[in-house]
Order: sequence, then structure tokens, then C-alpha cells
Amino acid sequence: MSPTVLICDDSNMARKQVLRSLPESWRDNIQTATNGAEALKILRDSVIDILFLDLTMPGIDGVGVLQGMQKLKIEANVFVISADVQPEMQNKVLALGAKAFLRKPVKADVLTAQLEQHGLL
Amino acid sequence: MNTFHLTEDQQDCLQELINVAMGQASDQLARYLDTFVYLKVPSIESVNADELTKTLAEQQNTVAVVSQGFFGHEGIRGEALLIYQDEDSERIADLLGYEPDELSKDEQLIDISSILTTTFLNVFASQIDNQMSYNAPKLLPSVQKSISQHLQQMTFSWDMALKVNINYQVTDYSFNCNMILLIPETAMANIKAVIDRILEEF
Repeated sequence: MSPTVLICDDSNMARKQVLRSLPESWRDNIQTATNGAEALKILRDSVIDILFLDLTMPGIDGVGVLQGMQKLKIEANVFVISADVQPEMQNKVLALGAKAFLRKPVKADVLTAQLEQHGLL
Repeated sequence: MNTFHLTEDQQDCLQELINVAMGQASDQLARYLDTFVYLKVPSIESVNADELTKTLAEQQNTVAVVSQGFFGHEGIRGEALLIYQDEDSERIADLLGYEPDELSKDEQLIDISSILTTTFLNVFASQIDNQMSYNAPKLLPSVQKSISQHLQQMTFSWDMALKVNINYQVTDYSFNCNMILLIPETAMANIKAVIDRILEEF
């Protein structure tokens, strides 16, 4: 069975970049969110196996989502995909439970390799 | 239709290219200042020449403008202006822990501006399969009058400018700086063509 996926990014293009890197067979189980608040609502209401998360977003940002997940004890395999490449930020999201930090713009082979590395593909 | 008019998809694509460029420019700034920089979503808008000249001339508290020209392939070129307000320039001096016998405040402002401009444009260019070269950055003297003169003396004609509003928050400090990219219509037409190419791939 294909995993349930949530893609959270305020940019339509960035969401599509992730979407087209995922296997065709996953399509029916993929949801999207355009900001942190929307993502947290979906995470509360449904079981999400894999979350692709942007950091710089209006309102609740990616760090806010990770903190919210900790508080609500929601578990998921989180891959942060961000343009904010400062080492301190990378360490921060990994400390908050993210599996990996991927640089924007994310390439399909990089994303696939990460999923394989974490036994998700 | 106006060359500077963007469809929703084009706007979204341009915004994302700018976000990525901004992220790496901030990383360079953070390394230079040896601190952490909080990023916000930069806002972008296009402004026409008359409007820009007028707005800049009216900004009484504008203390410094650093200007740097850039050139790429396929007719992509322009001038990047980094605009600082009075209080921001003071904060930058604080941040850098300026010592009187080291670099002058002006030199530091030029350094920071050049780091931001060239990193931003290098990353932007690489995403649209282009490559930039640059003129030396210069600090415009006695602001009010010199800005409008400077804008009139550009070596290329431009009718519109892309204004990217950047806000950098640096731990306890925060400073704002506006990056304004003056782009001639032909360059904008090229950028749009590349954006359309990127969008077609989806």
C-alpha cells in the first residue's frame, strides 16, 4: 500500500516539484497545504506517513509546524525542503525531529535517494 | 500587454526563484556577520520609473544607496540598488562591531550590499540557466539629489523596476533593506520566456 503524504509549501511550483518526484502509484494518497496552519489541521485530522515541509511561509512557518507536532505528539517522517540553508536552521529542524534537510530547488533523484535511505521507497 | 505583467503562475514561479536566491544570500550574510538570520517571505512588486524616482526622492530618512550593475547572457541585465534607512545603517555598524581604524562604515555597507547582491543574482541566474558578471558596487553620495541623477544616468533605459522587499532579522537586531532591481523591458521579456519554459516542464 502506498504511504499517505502531505506536501506543505506556500509556492504552487515548489509543491509541484515535490509531487512530480514521487511515484505515480502514490498520487491518490497525496494531500497538499499552503501554510503551517493548514498542515497542522490535516496532520491532526488524518494519519500522515510522510510530510514534505517548507520553512519560510506566512503565518505558522515550518519550524512552527514541527513544534506543533511535538506538542500534539503527532509522528510522521518529515523531510524539510527549504531555501533557508543556514547550518543553524538545518540543525534546528533535525533537533525538532525532521529526518532530513533538503535544499531548494529539490531534485527528483535527491528526494528519491532520501526516501530510499529511510526505507520509505 | 505590458511586459511586466505576470500571470499567477509566472508570479509564483518568479517568487520561488527569488525565495531560493534570497535564502542563499541570507546564508552568506549570516556567515559574514557570524550570526543567524531570520528569513521572512520577501515581497515582490513592479514599479514604474517615475514612481520609483519620486518615492526614493521623498524618503527623507534614506541614508545610503549602494548600486551595482549586472550582466548576463540573452540580454538579461540591470542594476541592483540596495537601500538602507538611517536606523538600519546604524544597526549594521553595531552588528559589525565597527572599530574606527578598521573598515569605514561606508566600506562595510558596500561589502554587505555586494555580498547580498552577487549571491542573490548568482543563485537567481543559475536557476534560469544564466550566469552574471558585475560592475564594482558604488555607494551613492549625498543621497536625495544623487539618486534621481543616478537613475537618469543609467547606461540602459528602463521603464519598470522589480522591487524585492527584504527584511532581515538578525537575532537581537533587525534591519530592513530594500533591494530594487532595475531591469530593462528586453531583459524582463527574457526572464518571462525562461519562466514559461520552466512552467512548461510541469
